[in-house]
Amino acid sequence: MSEPVHQSHVSEPVARRTSPLVVLVHTVTFRQARQFVPAVIPLVAAIGLGGGMTTVVALVVGVTLLSLATAALSWWRSTYTDGPSSVVVTRGLLSRSVRTVPNDRIRGVEVETPILHRLFGLVRVRIDAAAGTVSGKEEELVVDGVTRAEGDRLRTAVLTHRQAPVRQDGAAEPTPAEEEFGRFDNRWLFYAPLVGSYLALPLAAVGALFRLAQELPESLRPHLDNAQLAGVQALAIVVGGALLVLLAGSVVGAAVVNWGFRLVRRGGSLIAVRGLITRRHTELEIDRIRGATIAEGAGMRLVHAARVNALVTGLGDAARRGQLLPLGPRSEAWTLARRLVEDPGPLVAHPPAARRRRILRAVFAGLVATAAGLVATVFAGWWWVLVVGLVLLVLGIPLGLGRYAALGHATGPRSFSVRSGWLVREQALLQRRAVVGWQVRQSFFQRRTGLATVLACIGAGHGGYAAIDMAADDVAGFTLAASEPWAATFSRPAP
Amino acid sequence: MTTAPPPVREPAWSLSRSAISLWVTEGVIGSLVLGIGAALFAIFVPDDLGGPFPLLRWLVPIAAAVYAVVTIGVRPWFRFRVHRWEVTADAVYTLTGWLTRTWTLVPISRIQTVDVTRGVLQQLFGLSTVAVLTASSQGTVRVWHLESDVAQRVADDLAHRAEQVRDQAT
Repeated sequence: MSEPVHQSHVSEPVARRTSPLVVLVHTVTFRQARQFVPAVIPLVAAIGLGGGMTTVVALVVGVTLLSLATAALSWWRSTYTDGPSSVVVTRGLLSRSVRTVPNDRIRGVEVETPILHRLFGLVRVRIDAAAGTVSGKEEELVVDGVTRAEGDRLRTAVLTHRQAPVRQDGAAEPTPAEEEFGRFDNRWLFYAPLVGSYLALPLAAVGALFRLAQELPESLRPHLDNAQLAGVQALAIVVGGALLVLLAGSVVGAAVVNWGFRLVRRGGSLIAVRGLITRRHTELEIDRIRGATIAEGAGMRLVHAARVNALVTGLGDAARRGQLLPLGPRSEAWTLARRLVEDPGPLVAHPPAARRRRILRAVFAGLVATAAGLVATVFAGWWWVLVVGLVLLVLGIPLGLGRYAALGHATGPRSFSVRSGWLVREQALLQRRAVVGWQVRQSFFQRRTGLATVLACIGAGHGGYAAIDMAADDVAGFTLAASEPWAATFSRPAP
Repeated sequence: MTTAPPPVREPAWSLSRSAISLWVTEGVIGSLVLGIGAALFAIFVPDDLGGPFPLLRWLVPIAAAVYAVVTIGVRPWFRFRVHRWEVTADAVYTLTGWLTRTWTLVPISRIQTVDVTRGVLQQLFGLSTVAVLTASSQGTVRVWHLESDVAQRVADDLAHRAEQVRDQAT
């Protein structure tokens, strides 16, 4: 990253190749050869595998050679050029594809280092050119397998071109001072078992193991059926073991993803680095940050943990790339969010009618089940339906109260905030300039109780953040206070 | 039936009256499809089937009939009374819906693209829809069922003004 910007690409852009070492990486991973697998299988089936050891060896050698050949070919056929006005990536074994992305469309550059790449000292550079609402992998340019120094040069060059397209001198700017915004404390890994997404990691791994076990030949499988264990004891061991695997797995999973997480500010960008096996290096432009969300799951709230995501306009794959604090204490989360967006102050609670509405909606399923249960008990004697209905009904009340407690909104001089959700309580802190539109919704029942739901449309994150069930009388005032003067249309008398 | 005043004011202009005819036509088509389905159900489900089927044989056609009356006789007029739109000096403003109402306000400075679309049925009645898109996936304003020449004029005007006052648009 301290690599100076060379004179060469300022004057005349050169088409460059990736490092030849990447051929080895792709040979090992069968990256290009993978597409031939469907063609090879029937071929092998036709010839037959009669020859024993020699055939197997020949097959392995053949496949490796094929992989090497395709990897080398595709390396030879691909080039990339970072010119003063655009980045061009050319590739294709047989059909050529040339992708040109103008520099002003580039939203960010990410440098990642998968483990095999690290062995060879290579990196993969992703150039993100997401356009507004369009999402998907199509919006990405990937330069796979350049040396670390070249990767850093490319990143700096692309970002420099974009910010100052008329630079003449070509000299290296003095590296701006770094300011550390946050650093991951490994103790925070112990929050992981309370976070749904990290709990899912070991579950997926266990599922994969079971599938693998079923593929094993009969003779290799352990014979559990013969083991004689008392029922209760066995159950306790299995449940205890499963819990242990789940807990340990989630902590290990969180460690793999977040190891050494560090967030620094360098000049006009925020840079996040993380990962144990694959190191990721994500750069966000501070100028494009419109706000931040602080999310707390139901389990995380027990231990005062939270997550922070930045809301960045035009960022592809924002849920992953926008992460500023993957997991940490709530106080840390708020300190970080306040550095990006001015805190609009404490939230205003929504009117009591909103509480009634939340409770009513939460117990509605229970009410229906209870009514059905009554009918079923009378006509068919299925009393358990009634019990289930009553349990749902009783559980609905704390759920409704919890959902109501999450609701709130606040406005400050330059920012505003809305909060909602129970399973995952999410508070969005947003700048006033972030709002690209308002949507006020009022259902038949909301109209009768004087409530309305206000959605702030934002060109970042998931597109809109809502203040659910606020007092209908407050809507015009809130929208005017939370966005620029055009929102006065809501209250100004019609011409 | 509206007890409380609306949370925000209503946009000034109502839609073209042809919109009612369009909605009635849509209601007729929807009711026909549903009616055919209900008739098939009544004809092909044998009445000696146990369970709830004897009851359903009556309920399904009745539900279809109620749906037809509401979508043809009630909803178009109701919608026409609710739907409104307006283009002010600095924003596009619409009100849509009939039971659930939605007010949408988008400033001209944040408009990214303006589309005019004409569906098959809309062409029969000479109507068009103006869709105003912003950087937010949820911040899209659609002004439904304007007369085609009005729609084209509005779209051109909006695109022109968006070009002039455009800031970052995100």
